[in-house]
Amino acid sequence: MLTVDALDVFIQASHILRSVSLDVGPREVVCLVGRNGAGKTTTLRTIMGYLRPHAGRVEFRGQPIHGRRTHEIAQLGVGWAPEDSGIFADLTVAENIEIATWTRSGGRPAAERIALAYRVFPMLRRYAARKGPELSGGERKMLSIARALALDPEMLLLDEPFEGLSPAIIPAVSAGIAAITELGHSILIAESNIHHVPESTRRLYVIERGTIVFAGAAQDAWRDPSLTRIIGSAA
Amino acid sequence: MTAHVVNLVVSGVFHASILFLVSAGLQVVFGVQKIFNLACGSFYALGAYVGVSAVAWYAEAGGPPALFILPLAIAGVAAGALGVVVERGLLRFVYDRDETFQLLLTFAVVLMMEDAIRMTWGTSPRSTAGLYLTYGGVHVLGTTVPVYNLIVIGASLAIAVLIGWLLTHTAFGCIIRASADNREMAEALGVDMRRLYAKVFTLGTALGTLGGALVIPATAAMSEMGIELIVEAFAVVVIGGLGSMRGAFVGALIVGVLRSIAISVYPELEMLLIYLIVIAVLVLRPRGLFGGAPA
Repeated sequence: MLTVDALDVFIQASHILRSVSLDVGPREVVCLVGRNGAGKTTTLRTIMGYLRPHAGRVEFRGQPIHGRRTHEIAQLGVGWAPEDSGIFADLTVAENIEIATWTRSGGRPAAERIALAYRVFPMLRRYAARKGPELSGGERKMLSIARALALDPEMLLLDEPFEGLSPAIIPAVSAGIAAITELGHSILIAESNIHHVPESTRRLYVIERGTIVFAGAAQDAWRDPSLTRIIGSAA
Repeated sequence: MTAHVVNLVVSGVFHASILFLVSAGLQVVFGVQKIFNLACGSFYALGAYVGVSAVAWYAEAGGPPALFILPLAIAGVAAGALGVVVERGLLRFVYDRDETFQLLLTFAVVLMMEDAIRMTWGTSPRSTAGLYLTYGGVHVLGTTVPVYNLIVIGASLAIAVLIGWLLTHTAFGCIIRASADNREMAEALGVDMRRLYAKVFTLGTALGTLGGALVIPATAAMSEMGIELIVEAFAVVVIGGLGSMRGAFVGALIVGVLRSIAISVYPELEMLLIYLIVIAVLVLRPRGLFGGAPA
């Protein structure tokens, strides 16, 4: 579904990603784990077309998308839930979800896409009339993911869905993501805390200082003491 | 006395209606594209000249004088097409540049358009002659109010309501508000910013040119009218709050009516009074009366 091949990315003069490669198969849930500043967000933002790679390729469903513009990548079917949630403050919760059916029309009917978003995060239905600034951090995360889902994408990119959340709301976000993993999307999740990695994740990549230092099965990562030092310490 | 007050209010609100159209264009462009478009004044002047020409052509073609407002308004809106040219041809190169650069570029457009207008229509003022009185006047509390003024006030109010409805009740409006708030996220939902910018800028330009066309029967078109209006539109935007439509509406009313009062009571104070208000707003509410709310 998604193939990232030997990506080199610079932001201004800093070499942020060094030959990063990863792939996500159809219906697969993959985690990109690493500390803050390791290059997770840069990887996702490059896939999303916000950053141009200096070298390397990104392919989505067999066609190259590096060098394509962000809106084109979205139209191809990549849903994006950024770290800061990116909630439109002037729009209500309902509008934040519905807008995805206007910006990318076609595919499944709008009503069905909206209903699915609420089914995954039922809590949002109660806040439908509220605006962005009236939501808690967890609600914003849920809304961000729900909106990406309403885009009717083939693939979801979730950047730190649990970052900065109160422990009370983590189960609700977790349950939503677990529900999404059953819908058949390919999902790439960036995560700094390995304890938040969803159970359905079979493969994970560990990134450290812009380089992939581990690629493989989740349970193997747990057995590697040098990796648990990088990614397991936060819990 | 009441007659005097009625005259003041009607001419003030008439001016406010025109000012609202131009400022609304300025606001919608700033809201989405984050560019303070000084050229809105030039679009206003262009609308005025195109309006004069359209009406002259219409009269020569023998159209009934009572309907002259139709070719006038159509020409005003059509002149907005220049917006696409300016946006695609110039502005798109400076979106990622410093604000100073953007201001300089739009100011260059102001100067170029002023000369282009002089080259096309000459330096002497142009007017639509007697058409202003075609619709006659109505007697209100001992004075005669030109019906044309009331038509323009009504049209401007209708446009204000329409813009409000567009922004809050349509998919396009929702996309505009979302893009004004978070451009990157809107792109990640599939919004093509180039196309949206071209549309929004054209909408903003058309509001300015329409304002210019509608004002013209009541005055004369002069090549420097654009600069004068920029100063007033700037005051409107500072008073109302940058980027806010409600701000444009209330700010235009304040500036329009105050200007009309100043002209009648003590003409030397005309601009000074407006600037005193601007300064007071900047000191007491730096973000303007409706600042902070994106739409």
